[in-house]
Amino acid sequence: MAHFQIKDLNFSYPTAQGKKSLDGVSLSIEKGEYIVLCGKSGSGKTTLLRQLKSVLAPYGKKSGEILFNGMPMEKVSAWDQSAKIGYVMQDPDDQIVTDKVWHELTFGLESLGCDQKTMRARVAEMACYFGIADWFHKDVANLSGGQKQLLNLASIMAMQPEVLILDEPTSQLDPIAASDFLNTVRKINIELGTTVIITEHRLEDIFPYADRAIVMDAGRVIADDTPRNIGKLLYQQKNDMFAAMPTPIRVFYGAEGEGDCPLTVREGRTWLSRHYSDPKVNALPAKELREKIENPALSLKELWFRYEKDSPDVLRGVSAEIPTGSLYAIVGGNGAGKSTALKAICGICKPYRGKVKVFGKPVEKYKSAELFGGCLAMLPQDPKSLFVKKTVREDLAEMTKDEQKLAEIAAICEIDHLLDSHPYDLSGGEQQRSALAKVLLTNPKLLLLDEPTKGIDNFFKEKLAGILCKLKGQGITIVMVSHDVEFCAKHADWVSMFFDGQILTTDTPRRFFGNNSFYTTAANRMSRHVFSMAVTAEDVVALCNQNREAEV
Amino acid sequence: MGTLLFLETFMKYDAFSKCHPLVNFLFFVGAIGMSVVIQHPAYLLAGAVTGGIYYLLLNGKKGWKIIAGLLPMFVILTVINPLFNTLGETRLFDLFGRPYTLEALLYGAALASMFVIMMLWFGCYNKVLTSDKFTSLFGNVIPSVSLLLVMVFRMVPNFIRKTRQIIGARKSVGKGAGEAATRREKLSDGMTVVGALTGWALEGSIVTGDSMRARGYGAAKRSSFMIYRMTLTDWTLLAVIAVLFALTVTAAGFGQMTAVFVPDVELAPASWGLAAYTCYLLIPTVLHIKENVQWHISRSKI
Repeated sequence: MAHFQIKDLNFSYPTAQGKKSLDGVSLSIEKGEYIVLCGKSGSGKTTLLRQLKSVLAPYGKKSGEILFNGMPMEKVSAWDQSAKIGYVMQDPDDQIVTDKVWHELTFGLESLGCDQKTMRARVAEMACYFGIADWFHKDVANLSGGQKQLLNLASIMAMQPEVLILDEPTSQLDPIAASDFLNTVRKINIELGTTVIITEHRLEDIFPYADRAIVMDAGRVIADDTPRNIGKLLYQQKNDMFAAMPTPIRVFYGAEGEGDCPLTVREGRTWLSRHYSDPKVNALPAKELREKIENPALSLKELWFRYEKDSPDVLRGVSAEIPTGSLYAIVGGNGAGKSTALKAICGICKPYRGKVKVFGKPVEKYKSAELFGGCLAMLPQDPKSLFVKKTVREDLAEMTKDEQKLAEIAAICEIDHLLDSHPYDLSGGEQQRSALAKVLLTNPKLLLLDEPTKGIDNFFKEKLAGILCKLKGQGITIVMVSHDVEFCAKHADWVSMFFDGQILTTDTPRRFFGNNSFYTTAANRMSRHVFSMAVTAEDVVALCNQNREAEV
Repeated sequence: MGTLLFLETFMKYDAFSKCHPLVNFLFFVGAIGMSVVIQHPAYLLAGAVTGGIYYLLLNGKKGWKIIAGLLPMFVILTVINPLFNTLGETRLFDLFGRPYTLEALLYGAALASMFVIMMLWFGCYNKVLTSDKFTSLFGNVIPSVSLLLVMVFRMVPNFIRKTRQIIGARKSVGKGAGEAATRREKLSDGMTVVGALTGWALEGSIVTGDSMRARGYGAAKRSSFMIYRMTLTDWTLLAVIAVLFALTVTAAGFGQMTAVFVPDVELAPASWGLAAYTCYLLIPTVLHIKENVQWHISRSKI
């Protein structure tokens, strides 16, 4: 008997005027399976997942049938659904209900009316399994994003569910916390046999380990097969989703490989060794090392900053010169002080030592209206913090009275069709672009971006890259702080490493990531033994193709 | 240096705070309850000294500042009383054509010290009975109310954090009240931030609601996890508290705490009631010191 049996499920939201969000979905999910659900934003992934738990199912017109353990969903009691179907959502913060870690862990058990003895045992068990014991008594507010999401998972696992549904659980986490989280989910699946149904942007970490991948597009299931076959299928269909596949798959099909497609970096390395062990061309032409920068758009000299008088320094002598008209990326671990550096540049934090010069003029010499009106602007990490009105249009109108200018910027950011929506109704990528539009309306010559790719899928990332490219073409200098090494490797002109409160090295992406062996892209890890300084899937594909042509 | 270190660690570990919240709660109900009715100077002195010591043990250097702040309060309250109360045998001088008497002044001092003592014990209460202890105490009796309280406790710091974030974000696009803003501009900007905050909070509360229902909120009668357990020490302490409290109340019944200030000062002589009262108030201090001394001895043996 299947764990979930979905038969011809149709669903449309009341406001959608008959447009179906789910269109004839039929699926069968076995006990203990690990299933990855992929698709672009708005393809109906969340809508489908929410149908699998009645209390979360949105209102709307529904037809078809969902069986859970052979029983129609409507007949499964609220108690059983709560206990047996665990659901983890995107936002680590808002999911947490109580103020203490121990209390959050017990929340579900309290709701189910468990007795003290059971609760004690379960809580102890969970705290050990998830490594929470050290912060068991802490305030929830003092946890990192990764810890919060792990706590959300643990508090659901405390109820011992049979199935775990995760809706983009790591989109708000940094890469290290995200892969920790996903490893824990995998461990749960392997060790406890819990059925896992997960949607994710970061397919690299989970795709190889899934039993099945299901691809959705416009409310329909367009593919349902093993990960290896899905890669092939998407390539043959020239589907947009192919861009979201893990690097080894993209390289394999990009270089017209034949036979079994590699899924992991290890398999990718083996495949490359077999076919390109002695390459004639082993590097792409590299950009010249930079000479002395003339008239930098932004120069930082020895910035020191700490939040409180007796707290440790967050910035410990940050120095950098950022060339005008470039896309400059700053990468580095969590809590290294990257975001603080951006805040120091635009004066939200005041460094106690050091100098910030914007276009050659010390930042404190600018009047605030002069600095932020046509010179400098920052896109904050959470785009929601910029939205203050009921529609995107009103929000943009707050910045300018010029209708034409507004329309122009909306076109650049590709949000013209979203102008009359409420900002909160948009997907992560759409919110990001709307916030970017708002920032651009100040006509900045220097644009600061704090984690612009956080929480958006590959498809929207490419869109964002296109927009940034256009802006660069208009002579705008862009400084970006990011965890996303793949994005930086592909699109930045310069990459800096931020560590221990300082900028340590700066180089072109190829040399920067090409010389790193851990902190680098999957493409580089996969190809470094045959090619040098190939840092994106495109680089590796280009080198493979050149070598094959050279052989012929 | 050695003694200094000793004092530093002295403040960190409070044995009484580690007791069951019920013990903490009942003790403070007794201590604060008695401190607001007893006017006898000897008892007041006992209350002020014991309360002060425990407050300092809990708060360390910062405690002195608060106590120093309470002193002017004490003086003001003391000198004000004779302005309203003109009874009393010993006339010191006339003010606004009314007699200002010694007895009224002493009575004022008694009332003022009641107030100060109450503040001291409330200060200790805040430090010992943290919000999570308080809610867990009532979790079993009224689970839904206690959950509501917990959620409110979490909301306040969240709001502050989000407000900062919005203001920072607006500043970095040149919005928000700058240095040169008029009061009107500042007000309208404040309203915008509050509006945005409300929207954000509502959005968040939908997620929180989903997360609660997803974990079975409302699916069954709620139970409440008690992270604190009554140990033998807790039961013993509870018994000690009960006995000393009973003794003090009995002493009050025998009139040992009678204190009349006006028109003439008449005080009952100090007796075993005072001893019981002092012992009661010394419970947390004794526990605190005992534990620290024991800890130091066991550490020095290593």
